[in-house]
Amino acid sequence: MADQPGVRRWLAALLGLSVVVGAASAHAQAASLDLNSALFVEPSKRSGLTVWNPSAALAVTPTNWLTVQGGYEADIVSGASESVKGGRLSSVDIVSSATHFSDARHALTGGFTVTRASTHLSGSYTYGTEHDYRSNAFAVSAGTDFLQKNTQIELSYGRGFDSVCTTAYSATDAPSSRLALDNSQGCFTDDKKRASREISLNNFQVGWTQTWTPVFATQMVLSAALQHGFLGNPYRSVVIASAGDQALENHPENRARAAIGLRGKYYVRNLQTAFSASARFYRDTWDIFGQTYEVDAERYMLPWLRVLLRARYYTQTKALFWSDDYTGGEPATGPRGQYWSGDRELSPLSSYLVGARAVATREGRPGQRVFGLFLSFSGSVGFDLLKTNLRDFTLGGHAPDDTLALLWSLGVRGEF
Amino acid sequence: MKYLPPRVVKALGLAIGTLILVASAGCATVRPEQRAILADPTMQFDQKAADQAALEHVLDNREGSTGGGSVRGGGCGCN
Repeated sequence: MADQPGVRRWLAALLGLSVVVGAASAHAQAASLDLNSALFVEPSKRSGLTVWNPSAALAVTPTNWLTVQGGYEADIVSGASESVKGGRLSSVDIVSSATHFSDARHALTGGFTVTRASTHLSGSYTYGTEHDYRSNAFAVSAGTDFLQKNTQIELSYGRGFDSVCTTAYSATDAPSSRLALDNSQGCFTDDKKRASREISLNNFQVGWTQTWTPVFATQMVLSAALQHGFLGNPYRSVVIASAGDQALENHPENRARAAIGLRGKYYVRNLQTAFSASARFYRDTWDIFGQTYEVDAERYMLPWLRVLLRARYYTQTKALFWSDDYTGGEPATGPRGQYWSGDRELSPLSSYLVGARAVATREGRPGQRVFGLFLSFSGSVGFDLLKTNLRDFTLGGHAPDDTLALLWSLGVRGEF
Repeated sequence: MKYLPPRVVKALGLAIGTLILVASAGCATVRPEQRAILADPTMQFDQKAADQAALEHVLDNREGSTGGGSVRGGGCGCN
């Protein structure tokens, strides 16, 4: 488990923040509290995965131009995974190498939003910790609207300083001699067998939202990200020689990523339904090209209950250095000779998703609050099913059986 | 098909450019009193729904691409 005293400190800090902000909310114009929980299950006979993701967020608007936010989120993970990746020609028994693990990530965030007339400026900081990974993320964004509020532009920038625990190899050691972690004991301590590797993250985004008619709006989002540092999985070994030799996964240290998302929303009055369609195109310097197409429809079934149905298709090409099997005598100077990966996210794949969400909302009236406390209260339930088709990825020649994922979510939101 | 064909990229660029030009020329004007439907939660691009955040978290960990997601926008703008 994660650093328990540290987690207790963060929870105490969150509790303190809640008390302070809660007291302030007595004089605030508005405050909102979001409590959410999601459960992700990826069933498998050998290497299933379960992730429970509870979160809480509190926002208080003490004046009409300032909103202060605070939040806590956790990922509680348990399951099993193969610690060694080999392909079709591998002489290593990959399937039997699956080992059980449990992990927990905690993230605490705080931020503010200043709103003046038609512009807003936001800033936030998030600290995340788990026993083998730490992250510090700063984000700022600014937005404005003009042309009679028909056009909205939002710019945002995020900067991350992360650290990941690995075995204590030297940068001058040949990548083929580096070992993977077998556990996280000693991480971020003076343990001579452990080392901390830095990851630098820069994220840029610009969004343009346009309303065209009383029932039609579009949005275009451009994103770019620069990543530098240790970008692999410190626990994963890859079979790189026909004799069964293994080495720590070795990815390039730099990755530049860009994406464009285009989406439109149209309300059909006859059907009293809002339809949405979107397309996203992604490209990066590892030569992955991804395409996403998504449609959804949302309708009020009752005045207080709305239901959304969605479907999504995604496809991507492989990374330049991806191979299911690295034992085929690749030239040392080529992409697949210099780098090796066991990451299925870098393999050619496609996926289908279908899902639904229901949101129930109850609005209070002046002098008559919902449950005697809230100006408005809403609850939501969601379910999504994701099926992935791995076109080239195998575990020692066997197709993985953990390609179906189920996601349940539950949330409540109160404004007071 | 590994990449979009050049003519599709060209058409996409042309369409986006035209949209920007039309929007900046003020051709599309929705008056505040016409925004009742646009202000409804079903017409928001970024609803910050619990399931949406959780789903994006999952997809980021299961796919090789990221970015280009929804941002805040499309709201009432009534004042």
